[in-house]
Amino acid sequence: MNRAFPIRQVLTVLLAIPALYVTFVLYHSGNALIAILILVVTCLGVFIYLSPAATTFRYLFPGFLGFGIFVIFPLLYTIYIGFTKYSSEHLLDFDRAAGIFRNDTFVGANAASYKYRLYAQDDGTYVLYLEDQKDPTRRFASDPFELTVGGKSKAPAQSVKLNTLQPTDEVNGKPLETPQIVRAKLLGPLRERQFVTPDDTLLGIANLMSFTSRERLWTQNPDGSLTNKKDGSVIKPDFRQGFFVNDKGEKVGVGFRTNTGFDNYIRILTDSRIQGPFLRIFLWTVAFSAISVLVTFAVGMLLAVILEQKDLRGRGIYRTLFILPYAVPGILSILILKGLFNQEFGAVNGLLKGIFGFAPAWETNPWGARAMILLVNLWLGYPYMMLICTGMLQSIPGAIYEASAIDGSNAVIDFSELTLPLVLPPMIPVLISAFAFNFNNFNLIFLLTGGGPQMVGGNAGETDLLVTYTFNIAFKDSGTNYGLASAIATLLFILVGFLAWINLRFTARKAKI
Amino acid sequence: MKRSTSDVNVAASSIEPVTSGTTVKPRMLNPEQRAMLRKAISHFILICLLALVLVPYVMVISASFRKGDFAPNGLLPDKVSLEHWKFVLGIPYQEVANAATGETRVVQAETPPLIWFWNSIKVAAISSVGIILLSGTAAYAFARLYFKFKSGVLSGLLILQMFPMVLALVAIYAILDFAGQYVRWLGLNTQSALVFVYLGGISGYIWMIKGYFDTIPASMEESARIDGASQFQTFVRILLPISLPIFAVVFILSFISLMSEYPVASIVLQARSNWTLAVGANSFLAEHEKLWGRFAALAVLSGLPITAMFLICQKFIVGGLTSGGVKE
Repeated sequence: MNRAFPIRQVLTVLLAIPALYVTFVLYHSGNALIAILILVVTCLGVFIYLSPAATTFRYLFPGFLGFGIFVIFPLLYTIYIGFTKYSSEHLLDFDRAAGIFRNDTFVGANAASYKYRLYAQDDGTYVLYLEDQKDPTRRFASDPFELTVGGKSKAPAQSVKLNTLQPTDEVNGKPLETPQIVRAKLLGPLRERQFVTPDDTLLGIANLMSFTSRERLWTQNPDGSLTNKKDGSVIKPDFRQGFFVNDKGEKVGVGFRTNTGFDNYIRILTDSRIQGPFLRIFLWTVAFSAISVLVTFAVGMLLAVILEQKDLRGRGIYRTLFILPYAVPGILSILILKGLFNQEFGAVNGLLKGIFGFAPAWETNPWGARAMILLVNLWLGYPYMMLICTGMLQSIPGAIYEASAIDGSNAVIDFSELTLPLVLPPMIPVLISAFAFNFNNFNLIFLLTGGGPQMVGGNAGETDLLVTYTFNIAFKDSGTNYGLASAIATLLFILVGFLAWINLRFTARKAKI
Repeated sequence: MKRSTSDVNVAASSIEPVTSGTTVKPRMLNPEQRAMLRKAISHFILICLLALVLVPYVMVISASFRKGDFAPNGLLPDKVSLEHWKFVLGIPYQEVANAATGETRVVQAETPPLIWFWNSIKVAAISSVGIILLSGTAAYAFARLYFKFKSGVLSGLLILQMFPMVLALVAIYAILDFAGQYVRWLGLNTQSALVFVYLGGISGYIWMIKGYFDTIPASMEESARIDGASQFQTFVRILLPISLPIFAVVFILSFISLMSEYPVASIVLQARSNWTLAVGANSFLAEHEKLWGRFAALAVLSGLPITAMFLICQKFIVGGLTSGGVKE
């Protein structure tokens, strides 16, 4: 063992080096907390793979790392967001929102004027050169910065630092004069930028030819409030509302993210605009999951029983063909069926009209849409049940059927008195997990109906499941409310997690027996 | 009932005993006739249901060859055209731009949709290999080694995985946005980042593989240990070779479920050329003008190989499903 090449040790070190490098970079860019976290995880990893005391964890570490980063962390973060006000109105954290006030400026009475030149650098960035018009020895060059033509930045860009130039210093790069700047459409992005001198004076572009010094509009008071230098008004942050408010209690500026405790949960329970659709959606979600499970189980069981007849010809071919909806990627099947159920041009209505002379409104009528969803889910879901039931049927000894045949039973009695009682108990965990799967069956609803048709007087859809409803609250342009969505997500998780726990108890008890 | 004697197909011939049987009460039949009747009814039910299962697929195939963009309808295309297939494969083709003047123009996909299929295969295959590595090693620890809170951790894994990932997208977005500032290939709009996100979904597979390991007696490994093999050697040289079937099952199941994953991919991947099959296929139908023909061609092109793979490995998969009983 000792003479062998130390592959494990070498690999550990090779993986630890980039991790340490990332830690270093993160620490330097001001993310000390995350840097420390990565450092701790790296040290843990090195310990686990080098110390003989931790061999067990060598097998667990990689899996747990992935699970931790992409399941547990998002989960905890989502639960945390559920306790905050975080939406399109409250997008920035407090420091960024306050920073916008700090960067508000106005041109004061004794503003100095500067000549400027822009130097294009080889790497696509720019350097700004400024020279005081009254005192040409006061010269500055900025750090390199980017100017994006056309794209308006959503958040105000940070101020660019200016450095004092010594009389002998020159700026490198290709100088751009005003006409060239205008022609390259750089004036607009330049106007959005502010520059700050070493003595903390803010400079901004005044007109085509010059820059001017600006004064900050707000001064910070020790108690956290801000005073307006121009009109003397005072605003202070209200952490309950997530806004700065003036003395009349009116909101000023942009909102910020703030902790609000159980506000989102209380809103779910009390706000009638949410509560109304929430209850209906919840009932539909439960009904959808329960009916889907029962119907897929019934059809799957029927097919499994039929295909279990040993003397039936072509069983293999039948079985293969009936598995098809499970074998074809689900997303394609859903979209294909969406086409077939198209209300005006789809094949289903074409057929129904031809035979029965009526065409259900699969898309615009709530009950039509629900029926379609259940039919499509039956079509997608029965093969799985069929496979599981087949497995269970094959584990039943054939002798009991022979015995019952002697007693003169028939197929129906065999099924109801022998097969079903034997198959049902071990099926329960499968049925519960199928229920939980359908409870959060995002793909089906999102791709098939998108939740539609719209519920009357609400922003929810008649066929929305809780999961798609919440997704829309979080991500639809009309109202991106991450806080509320995360609170609902947490409730959903508790519900489905509880189901999973019950399921585990069932399986555990079965295993003991 | 009229019966044609010349072309008796399977369905008709199997229905025959039903019609003759209705006049006689089943109880009066002898066992042989009863078996016939039973089989006939079975065939009848199976063929009816099979028609419902197969017709949609036939219609999609026909829609992919039909000129124009219509929702799948009809078993045979009325006007055959290869335009959708050419579009999907990225081959330029002529199209009538103006019906009145007969003007034509050349149409070619900027990013051939075939690329989405390839992207999906890459992402799903690499993720599945990663999932096997991560869940296989973890399952070994759960099945063979001893550590504190083992059963608690094992249940916790499964319960935590019930959290709907769709709703954690805000957090996933934030992680990738942050990581991308420092490590380019972990950032938004990269397929590698998507692979990493998918690597989190391992707990179901840990259970499945652990269940399989549990069915293999540990005696062989123990005797190997006595002969001087290290723990890692017994894992790699003894347990892994016997467990290849379950790894095949995990690979196929995770591969297929990832091929269909839509929400995370649609948020992480923004550039058209980066899209996966799920995002791209939906884009044909998400806009106001639904491009059924192109969707159909893409669906057939990408659905066929995956379906074939699944059907070839059918026996493995069924075994794995019924032993583990976990579905993604």
